[in-house]
Amino acid sequence: MAFINLQNVTYKYPLTKGPVLQNINLQVREGEFVSVIGPNGAGKSTLCYALAGFVPHFFKGEFSGEIEVDGKQSSKSTLDEWVLNVGLAFQNPFNQISGAKYTVFEELAFGLENIGVPRDEMKVRVEEAMALTGISDLADRSPYSLSGGQQQRVALTSILVMRPRLLVLDEPTSQMDPIGTREVFGVVRRMAEQGMTVVMVEHKMEWIAEFADRVIALKEGQILMEGRPNEVLTSDLLTENGFGVSRYTSTAREAKKRGLWRKDHLPVTLDEAVEGFKK
Amino acid sequence: MHERLSFHIQRDSFLHRLNPLTKLVLTLALILIAFTFPWYWTPHILVLIAIIPLSIVGKVFREFSLTALRLIIPAAGFLFLMQAFFQPIGEDVIFKFYFLDITSESLMFAFRNAMRVFVMVSAFTLFLVTTHPSELMSDLTRRGLPGQFAYVIISTLQILPQMQAKAQTIISAQRSRGLDTESSFFKRAGSLIPLIGPLVFGSLVEVEERAIAIEARGFTSRHVKTSLHEIPDSAFDQFLRWALLALIIVSIGLNLWPS
Ligand SMILES: Nc1ncnc2c1ncn2[C@@H]1O[C@H](COP(=O)(O)OP(=O)(O)OP(=O)(O)O)[C@@H](O)[C@H]1O
Ligand SMILES: [Mg+2]
Repeated sequence: MAFINLQNVTYKYPLTKGPVLQNINLQVREGEFVSVIGPNGAGKSTLCYALAGFVPHFFKGEFSGEIEVDGKQSSKSTLDEWVLNVGLAFQNPFNQISGAKYTVFEELAFGLENIGVPRDEMKVRVEEAMALTGISDLADRSPYSLSGGQQQRVALTSILVMRPRLLVLDEPTSQMDPIGTREVFGVVRRMAEQGMTVVMVEHKMEWIAEFADRVIALKEGQILMEGRPNEVLTSDLLTENGFGVSRYTSTAREAKKRGLWRKDHLPVTLDEAVEGFKK
Repeated sequence: MHERLSFHIQRDSFLHRLNPLTKLVLTLALILIAFTFPWYWTPHILVLIAIIPLSIVGKVFREFSLTALRLIIPAAGFLFLMQAFFQPIGEDVIFKFYFLDITSESLMFAFRNAMRVFVMVSAFTLFLVTTHPSELMSDLTRRGLPGQFAYVIISTLQILPQMQAKAQTIISAQRSRGLDTESSFFKRAGSLIPLIGPLVFGSLVEVEERAIAIEARGFTSRHVKTSLHEIPDSAFDQFLRWALLALIIVSIGLNLWPS
């Protein structure tokens, strides 16, 4: 049995003309790290909301199909039960600050207070989570005084500390520098190895290729392609459909046309490119 | 940007260790007694025997005096002048200024009201400075205040400076595209209309996202909530609350007593 199971999921916001998600079928096994890519407006964020229960429990509109996580059906659950299993961090970190807390430490404890975790355990969990994402030194700062990248780390940590079975991340590194991005991918990879299932929307192809188990390419609310990162991220189908690709892929593709790239497969990361050009 | 958005100053003092509700009752008691106790010199005496000693006990005397000098005394002073000049009571004119008379009655009246306002603002200041906002909210929710209600209060307290900062950003952005914010008042007022859109609609989208964010962190969970900070509530706290309540009742009672 798949851990996540989406059957014919179709959804239209109250104000959009057509469906934003169309007939999505998707199975993900437990502990798998899946990355979702797609152009602006493809429905990536909406898919995240659907996995996290906000579609259809929070956003009204027309929903059909079935979303199942860990054997439970979203349509038969309430949102407050659903979020205990599925954690969501979304694009804008600023709006994820609760606004009710004065320090990062308190901010991270907010979710644990809500679900009634005892005080001593709460402190231990917050400290562990901060160490995991490397923000221990921010504990006493006001969440509002942080940089965008730091706020994104806090947003991610505030979900990790809740220990969800499924982690849904919508562009969690959009305001981070390359080092921060790499660290976040590393943390997420480690969580997946410990059995947490991860669905992460990202644009940074090189990191996806290095860390994710599978890539799903979404376009106009439909799954255009899915498969192992190297297959999907180097496929011609992506370029034909206006997806961005890694600069190493496009360089090697150009080189291939001129006979300078002799391998069968195109590279996504720098290492693969170097390796290929050496030959 | 503001690093600290609350007035709270962390110190280890008797006042800081009181239960937040006790401090709230103490604040209300000071204000109500200043306004209702039927003796002229009540607010003046309260400043001497309560406000100043409390600021010392709370180890915030320096910060408190600064706030008092910069903010509370000027405000109370302004009120004093307004009432001293414009209160048409009494016969005993002691000072004339064009058509304005100052009588000893209006002077006394204005003095007492200014002192009452001084007590009120000072009591609130001391309360905010010595009480951690999250602790106040946790304590009140624990006592049955709905969580949503507490959230609205505390997040509004935090978000006001944010809104202000954002309005500033939007003004700069629009000024750089030619928005006039420096000529005459009416022209400026008119040209500020474009500000309203981004601020209001931006805020609506933000409200929606923030609702999702706190919901994702179990805000509407039906579990009994816990609290990160341990909130003190000693037998002394309880005694103090009842004693203060009794004082409030006596003061209001004496005020209403037909004399
Ligand atoms: N709250 C909403 N109400 C109405 N329509 C919405 C809402 N959110 C998104 N949409 C619309 O749904 C479509 C898909 O949006 P979505 O945010 O899921 O795209 P995305 O793939 O996340 O894009 P991006 O890369 O810009 O984040 C867009 O046409 C968008 O305008
Ligand atoms: Mg999006």
